[in-house]
Amino acid sequence: MAASSSSRDDLSGTDDLLGTIDPASSSSPSSSSGVEMLKRAWRNEKAAPEILQYEEELVETFREQIRSREDIIDNYSGGGTEDLMLSLFRMDLDRTLFILRSYLRIRLQKIEKHVFHICKSNLWNRLSKSEQNFATRCTDILEKHLEQSVLGKLPYGYQSILKQSISSEDIDMVPEPRLDTFVFCKSRDSIGSFQLDDYGEEIVDLVADDLYILRYKSIKALVESGRIDLL
Amino acid sequence: MFCKSASQLLKELAYNDNDQLTPFNNDIFEQVFRECDEHHLHLQSLMRKIQDDGLDIQTTRNSDHFGAVIHHLSLIRNKRCLMAYMYNRAEIIRSLRWKIGTILPEEIQSKLNYSEEEYFKNHCAALEVYMSEIDLDLTVDMIPPKDPSIQVRVRCDIGDVLLGDQVASLTNNSVHLMKRTDAEQFISQKQVVGALLAPLPLEGAKLQKSDLYSVMPLIYLCKFGFQQLP
Repeated sequence: MAASSSSRDDLSGTDDLLGTIDPASSSSPSSSSGVEMLKRAWRNEKAAPEILQYEEELVETFREQIRSREDIIDNYSGGGTEDLMLSLFRMDLDRTLFILRSYLRIRLQKIEKHVFHICKSNLWNRLSKSEQNFATRCTDILEKHLEQSVLGKLPYGYQSILKQSISSEDIDMVPEPRLDTFVFCKSRDSIGSFQLDDYGEEIVDLVADDLYILRYKSIKALVESGRIDLL
Repeated sequence: MFCKSASQLLKELAYNDNDQLTPFNNDIFEQVFRECDEHHLHLQSLMRKIQDDGLDIQTTRNSDHFGAVIHHLSLIRNKRCLMAYMYNRAEIIRSLRWKIGTILPEEIQSKLNYSEEEYFKNHCAALEVYMSEIDLDLTVDMIPPKDPSIQVRVRCDIGDVLLGDQVASLTNNSVHLMKRTDAEQFISQKQVVGALLAPLPLEGAKLQKSDLYSVMPLIYLCKFGFQQLP
């Protein structure tokens, strides 16, 4: 492909490039809806106060796609194709890469922030394998740091990192993410009347595509099942 | 005593500008530890007194017991204050990795104590391992991309660098057009400055702050102390 394009003029080289990378073509049939899904996952992760389920397939699909697109662009950059087209495709690739990187970065920062809580609760299952390794490492170094500087010098019985003292009944020194912060959300389909809290006092009618500001705690289950999107 | 010094540590934290580190307050830290030891001694002597009086530790509610409770509560409060101080500083240190990179400038390095420096190094190492596992560098691309390449001016001699598949000679004051991701690592180490994408001002107009400069270089320029307009 690359060898033949260099012998043609600019315009037909561009058509060639368009043919390969055009999202409507058969090479990447689901790319337009795939990007939407990636953007959704990214927006949800950004707005939610706690870490959400890792979208393994999405990330893997996009890594593959990015790799193949990079190869295609590399093939064409040597030939006679117009620089503008190349930079446009490069731009598109960069923007997808940005969303992917940002998604992983936000997750990493949430892990860093609440590392003890994540390790001790069922949020652990929402992490990917590499993230779990990272979280274990983070706990270790933070424990070591705190023990070295504070806990080692405290009297016996007060040296635990998770409990205030050995007489505490529960683990009470772990900071948890605040689940009752308000988030903007939009419902994907009509859910109808929805109970916001345990007492049955506040009931809200959730209609599709309407914008709401609610406490994250109340809509946690809906976000996890994908029926509500955070903005 | 009774957590007055520990609360000073917390006040120091509260008076900070967001994400600014103050020098590690070793004096107050040591003082709080001394107070903790004192409280512990008092606590133990009171408990012994209860036992010597022949009373049951779990159920007695006399003045000695309440004295012991106060010492215990002060100890816990001191522990919480110290942990909060270290924990918050650790959070700021972690954010430094994302903002500045692996090498801290001297003025920040001097504010950390030994344990914090080690923590920073270990944290950077953990991040490196994660990024190599997923084979993706997460420290570039911190802002949404507006252009695939930016113009940069080199501020100090870097020599010959491999960019993509070409070697560029980065000598002082030369201007290059390089890919965003390549440029970011140099910009964060302050070795190049993002030049304006529209290098020539409009004819007859003075180059003022309120001129529309491309957003990206402006954000990079902010790292060097220029004011960004709200």
